[in-house]
Amino acid sequence: MEFVSPEGLRLDGRRPMEMRQIRAEIGAVTKADGSAVFEMGNTKVIAAVYGPREVQNRSQQINDQALVRCEYSMANFSTGDRMRKPKGDRRSTEISLVIRQTMEACILTHLMPRSQIDIFVQVLQADGGTRSACINAATLALADAGIPMRDLVTSCSSGYLNSTPLLDLNYVEDSAGGPDVTVGFLPKLDKVTLLQMDSKLPIDIFENVMQLAIEGCKAIANYIREIMLENTKQLEYRRGI
Amino acid sequence: MREIELSLNQTQKIRLKRALEKLESSSSKANSNSNASVSISDSIPVNHEDGVLKGHGTLDLNGELVATLCGVVERVNKLVYVRALRARYKPEVGDIVVGRVSEVAQKRWRLDIHYSQDAVLMLSSMNLPDGIQRRRTALDELNMRSIFEENDVICAEVRGIQHDGLHLQARSQKYGKLERGQLLTVPPYLVRRRKQHFHHLEQYGVDLILGCNGFIWVGEHVEAKDDMVEDQVSKPEQQKSNKNSISLEEQEQTYTPIETRQNICRIANAVRVLSILGFNITIEVIMDTMNLSSSLNLDIHEMLGSEFCVLVAEGEAERRSLTKRKG
Amino acid sequence: MVGLSLGEKHFIQGGIAQDIRSDGRKRLTYRPINVETGVIPQANGSARIRMGATDVISTVKAELGKPISLQPDKGKVSIYVDCSPTAAPMFEGRGGEELSTELSVALQRSLLGGKSGAGAGIDLSSLVVVEGKICWDLYIDCLVVCSDGNLLDALGAAIKAALSNTGIPRVQVAAGASGDEQPEVDISDEEFLQFDTSDIPVIVTLTKVGRHYIVDATTEEESQMSSAISISVNRKGHICGLTKRGGAGLDPSIVLDMISVAKHVSEQLMNKLDSEIAAAEAGEDES
Repeated sequence: MEFVSPEGLRLDGRRPMEMRQIRAEIGAVTKADGSAVFEMGNTKVIAAVYGPREVQNRSQQINDQALVRCEYSMANFSTGDRMRKPKGDRRSTEISLVIRQTMEACILTHLMPRSQIDIFVQVLQADGGTRSACINAATLALADAGIPMRDLVTSCSSGYLNSTPLLDLNYVEDSAGGPDVTVGFLPKLDKVTLLQMDSKLPIDIFENVMQLAIEGCKAIANYIREIMLENTKQLEYRRGI
Repeated sequence: MREIELSLNQTQKIRLKRALEKLESSSSKANSNSNASVSISDSIPVNHEDGVLKGHGTLDLNGELVATLCGVVERVNKLVYVRALRARYKPEVGDIVVGRVSEVAQKRWRLDIHYSQDAVLMLSSMNLPDGIQRRRTALDELNMRSIFEENDVICAEVRGIQHDGLHLQARSQKYGKLERGQLLTVPPYLVRRRKQHFHHLEQYGVDLILGCNGFIWVGEHVEAKDDMVEDQVSKPEQQKSNKNSISLEEQEQTYTPIETRQNICRIANAVRVLSILGFNITIEVIMDTMNLSSSLNLDIHEMLGSEFCVLVAEGEAERRSLTKRKG
Repeated sequence: MVGLSLGEKHFIQGGIAQDIRSDGRKRLTYRPINVETGVIPQANGSARIRMGATDVISTVKAELGKPISLQPDKGKVSIYVDCSPTAAPMFEGRGGEELSTELSVALQRSLLGGKSGAGAGIDLSSLVVVEGKICWDLYIDCLVVCSDGNLLDALGAAIKAALSNTGIPRVQVAAGASGDEQPEVDISDEEFLQFDTSDIPVIVTLTKVGRHYIVDATTEEESQMSSAISISVNRKGHICGLTKRGGAGLDPSIVLDMISVAKHVSEQLMNKLDSEIAAAEAGEDES
């Protein structure tokens, strides 16, 4: 199947290095301490953060840092073909773990000892790149909850189809069988915190593909930063003196 | 961006937008600090030669000062810190807080005060019901539930942070259990620290406590009386509600009088509106909002409708531009 | 889950008795309802309803299936509810399952009209494409995003809104298939059939606190209930389904009284909801 036309356009009309439309909104869940919606094209996720608060299960309490927990769930209607999955299948468990580790690495957990932070991400629409969208949404939700972080972790995926590196795969491209490289990146520290790839690639091409994903992460970080700054300004002037 | 959660029609949207723009312009003029907003990972410009004390929300990254929170950079002499807006409560010694008992433990109560942990109120940090200063006995420990039990709402003062967490104290008549009213929760950044957090609104017969932790109590006014007497009054009441099948009439007699209740709900809704709009919650603004709603002859529940919220936003924009001109 | 002190409980009960609830509403006043349609473009129809802090999403997905042999002239509809952990940390893991099931079953009972499907709000026979062979299966999936009481009414309203937002593709059946063969179909991607949602009932839950009952209870108020009755009423004023919850017993005469009140309230709710849905659909077309 042809994923990149001779004119250099992808199935949804994007150029290979082009990201889908991204949109973020802070504050979607009234009762949570922090929440955000993040959209990448048709992929749409909600993240809600509860805490830092008293540890619910005392035996899990850590004396010198905060306990970070994460749960990822997909709505039944989120995929193209409707399916009813039992909660806590292996894929969800793995993604929960990935998100938790990524976020934990960037939260300054030692500032909130003996407390607990819960991150819940809910996929409303899945069209490829849910992992990345969840991490981006979680970053915004944590920032909204006023939780101190080392850096803004953002995530983006890239792939390699028809001998072309592609940024931000959608569902069709993702399921085409090519490699899918998901990168989590700390832009200020210039460090990769999450890297996953399936399928195989020659090393020199992998370098390009990963670099592309990193560029994607940087672009998302810029966007998120602007959203947060605008939000902070608004909160400040609305409150008044 | 955090949208204000209201369903507005077209004209209301435009009016709200205009009011917010007005607020924005008046705040940027009044406050030279308005460009100091930072987002996580932004570097904060500092003059290292003067020496810098890095405070909350900052991190030293290879000699560069970096924000770890979204907020506003504040500078006090050499200290540089980031003041977060939406966040959990950050306690300071002497703050007046309202909390809910989550656990009765050995010689202490644990309270949820919207902090990253439950706060501790020691039995020894509060006045006993009999009002006598003495050592706490084993009997006192056994009777702790008769003072506060789980889920009770309490007002207290922050004593300080100790090795086992945040400690509170309640060594005065004005602190203690809050009854007959409702507890509202607002983001703590909307409540400023002030001299006065207890407000007895005599004309309405209402007690209003603006807890620094964003828990706001609106309730029927209770005379600060001797705790001995209060204990006797409250006990038969508890029995009644335990077996409320006995007589509902009798129970209804103890209900808050209807005028007071109307005032409580009107004040509570004023607080809710201000919290939705993200405006600073002070006693003056609450009273203004309440008076505005009464002067419009609005039903209490209509205060939560979009029209009233827009009106409050417009009023606030007007008020702030006026106070600025005066100052 | 909600912890309230004795004083607060007393205050809530008193407010209901005096007809001024904690947020100033009367016993039979709803919170403002906010409707958004078309929130999930991948579905055939979707809607999001917000009442105070309660926030639910409902979606409709239509798939071609085969009618069951006992009812060859009827399509199938199923309703599932999921409580997202974003709504409350207690829904984490399997924590929300019990509530989800309770809500799903209550919704099926209120909207789908029994096993035979008679009296269902949705006309099941309109879902049949070829009798006995092909029909539409409607999957209605709901998600609770944020919960502040009165979930059942909100979900019922969201389903109604989602169904009015739903377009079912027109299906052309290839002629010539006969006997037991499965006929070939051609699904149009341009022509859509709109649902007739006028018969879909609304659900009114009356929560009894003390001697009185209230509509649209918040979580705090629900924690004080002795029992609650959810009644689904359609536009004609017929009762389509009924669920009683809560441990306390009710006098039969009170039940009848509550039903007549619910019927009265449902008219206002129905009109309010219809106008909100129409406004939301109009707004969606514009943008």
